[in-house]
Amino acid sequence: MVAQTKTTAETASSGRPTTENRKRTGGMRRLLLRRSMFGLFTLWVVSLVVFLATQALPGDAAQAILGREATPERLAALRAQLHLGGSLPEQYISWLGHLVTFDLGNSLAGGKPVVQVIAPMLLNSGVLMLGSAVIAIPLAIVIGTWSALKKDTVVDHVTGVVTLVLASLPEFVVGVLLVLLLATGFLHLFPAVFVLIPGEQVWSNPAQLVLPVLTLVLAVSPYIIRIMRATTLEVLESQYVQQARLKGLPERTVIWRHAIPNAIGPVAQVVALQLAWLIGGVVIVEYLFRFPGIGFQLIDAVTNRDLPVVQILVMAIALFYVVVNLLADVVTLAANPKVRTAQ
Amino acid sequence: MTVHRRPRSLRTLTAMALAASLMGLAGCSSAGTPAADAGAASSPRAGGTLRVGIVGGSAKDSLDAHSPVTHPDEARAIQLYDTLASYDVDHKIQMSLADKITPSADAKTWTVHLRDGLKFSNGKPITADDVIFTFQRITDPKNPMAGATALSGLERDAMKAPDPQTIVFPFATAFATFPDIVTQYNAGIVPVGYDPKNPVSSGPFMTESFTPGQQSTFVKNPHYWRAGQPYLDKVTIIDFPDDTARVNALLGGQVDAIDQLPLGQVNVVKANPQLKVLESATGSWLPFTMRVDQAPFNDPKVREAFRLIVDRQQMVEQVLGGHGTVGNDMYAPFDACFPQDVPQRNQDIAKAKELLAEAGKSNLSVDLVTSAAAAGLVEAAQVFAQQAKAAGVTINVKKVDPGEFYGDQYLKWTFSQDFWFTRDYLPQTAASGFSTSPYNETHWDDKQWTDLVNQANATTDQATRCGIIQKAEQIEFDRGGYIIWGFPNSVDAYSSTVSRFTPDKSGIPLTSFTFRNVWLNK
Repeated sequence: MVAQTKTTAETASSGRPTTENRKRTGGMRRLLLRRSMFGLFTLWVVSLVVFLATQALPGDAAQAILGREATPERLAALRAQLHLGGSLPEQYISWLGHLVTFDLGNSLAGGKPVVQVIAPMLLNSGVLMLGSAVIAIPLAIVIGTWSALKKDTVVDHVTGVVTLVLASLPEFVVGVLLVLLLATGFLHLFPAVFVLIPGEQVWSNPAQLVLPVLTLVLAVSPYIIRIMRATTLEVLESQYVQQARLKGLPERTVIWRHAIPNAIGPVAQVVALQLAWLIGGVVIVEYLFRFPGIGFQLIDAVTNRDLPVVQILVMAIALFYVVVNLLADVVTLAANPKVRTAQ
Repeated sequence: MTVHRRPRSLRTLTAMALAASLMGLAGCSSAGTPAADAGAASSPRAGGTLRVGIVGGSAKDSLDAHSPVTHPDEARAIQLYDTLASYDVDHKIQMSLADKITPSADAKTWTVHLRDGLKFSNGKPITADDVIFTFQRITDPKNPMAGATALSGLERDAMKAPDPQTIVFPFATAFATFPDIVTQYNAGIVPVGYDPKNPVSSGPFMTESFTPGQQSTFVKNPHYWRAGQPYLDKVTIIDFPDDTARVNALLGGQVDAIDQLPLGQVNVVKANPQLKVLESATGSWLPFTMRVDQAPFNDPKVREAFRLIVDRQQMVEQVLGGHGTVGNDMYAPFDACFPQDVPQRNQDIAKAKELLAEAGKSNLSVDLVTSAAAAGLVEAAQVFAQQAKAAGVTINVKKVDPGEFYGDQYLKWTFSQDFWFTRDYLPQTAASGFSTSPYNETHWDDKQWTDLVNQANATTDQATRCGIIQKAEQIEFDRGGYIIWGFPNSVDAYSSTVSRFTPDKSGIPLTSFTFRNVWLNK
């Protein structure tokens, strides 16, 4: 392991890879390329599904926007304003063309350019997710490892029960309980809903972020903790760790140099899945806390049949999924010499 | 006076003020009047910001005076635009921007006279030209606004302004309900050249900021015509698509008032000494709509049977949690002409079965299309399906999302539901009773009834008109297509620091959103 890390470092610095290393990095590059192509293919399929699904929604934007105010005259006027119409394949191809050239058009509901509508929302959700991930992932890895090292002690059992309970609760239940506990019922520590003052950013009033972030942290951590505990235990019982111990290495070195790096690989996959889940999970959490992000926006856009916004948001979510999984692959590959060098 | 943005500061201040007054140290609080006196305060206090949480709202939100599309849009329009006349809390018309609205003898011509010295928020005077521009904008055939159908009889090119304070409205046919139509919140007066993107206001407040789907802030209009009003410096309207979030915001002190308190939360709010519930009996109704031109409802016996199936008291108990009154298949209960002597129709399963058997429709099975388009619709459909079993009728409740409900099939469903705010009888018939009405859900087209209502529309004498209206209501009671089982109360909630929210019959929440009447004791 140590030797291999060195070789990679040499390769990177010298710029003149040995034949063997070229093979390895070439294999990895090819693998990543193949994954990227597959990612693009996935995105294309998603675009098709999204387009067809949104077309299949009953009612059009003009009807959804006017609701019961939709008299035939007003419908006709609004449809003309929104340029609704054209055959399905025509609409799809024109939409895909605009998508590829980043010409996203205007929101049907507000009339503003789609980019202007979703950019702040993406930023806001990004802040929420990043905040949650930055807290949840290291915390979960530390707790998982700790729990594994303290196997069968009180700490381990408590962690086990708490994570199991949290993992089995849907995130909106966790959210509602937190609101009851910390905002409206028992204690009045944090705001129960998010109110964005115009002209301010979501992080301007951090107290408002506490409950949504905490909800997401509690929703994603349990899985990471449990998988971290499981893989650490497995690694600790492996032959190379025993070998390292037999060599007389200090326990600290055994754990940090030999055990943890090998336990991280499978955990990266779970972390990626949880991150990908986060972007879906924020939909519900944002709605609960009235957080102005993509989830809140998506629900509204679906209700309004605001197809340009729905389509872009879903594509953005799909892109996030693909990228996160690609990154997880990279981490797994980097952490596992067997996978990394596989041809 | 500080603006309380943070929820905790409000609570803490209130608690501190309370504690201080208990200790006889009331003068120490920098927040003004101690909260303990809040309820007792009788004279209006100027200043402060009222933060209101309102159901719904979306990216499609608009400040357009004549085209409100979401529920918070209605609240915003009421802050920004005054109408020629307005309803008081008893649903009686009071003059507003106009000081006189008078009909000609045949009710075909209406003359409106404006008050002296009216001004828009930009300081320009409100004149007859602005009023004509407003009604031409509403009825623009190229881009008709929400109020256009009600004004379809207006000869829009023949409106005249004999002097800057007088406007003459000519109609093709007699139009007795003109004052009601100009009182609707979607008929606010706007200046010539009005641009909804940069709205000039004729109402108590003017726009400071507006983020669709999020929130909007309004500041006092210095040129507002009602002396001393509004009392508040600022109103913030926050959109809340989710019930839970709205209630939590009130409980956590992030807003001072919310509309449409979920019925499950009424006792929670009542138990909190810092909060108050505002409950108003209204003339709003959530009818079942039976298409009178389609089987099985084209047989009046089936319609009567269905009306006899409903246990109205149980509906009010289960759907509205008791917050409402029982209906008698007739709308407009607050109309001065509403017939008081028609006996209450009650559940009578035996009679219903008998009528169904006579119609050859025993063991009937019908689809009932419902949607969460308004609170209580889905619940009412489910309760009705239960009640119908006793009469051997199978009701298949088909729940669709609001987009589909208002989609291509809206107003075409055979058996469905709808909801209406309080209206007087004649304006309501214009909206839903004639074959030409925009919302004739039941496809009601009854010759005798139509003649009567046309006659009432042409009658300006109140007593004569009432007699005709009562006959028309009787026809609807006998063979109409609505099942009107009840009138839900509107139930809102607010912080006890807010004064002068009063019960209001309109069905529009929080005293018809008239925040100009409201002040803060904090």
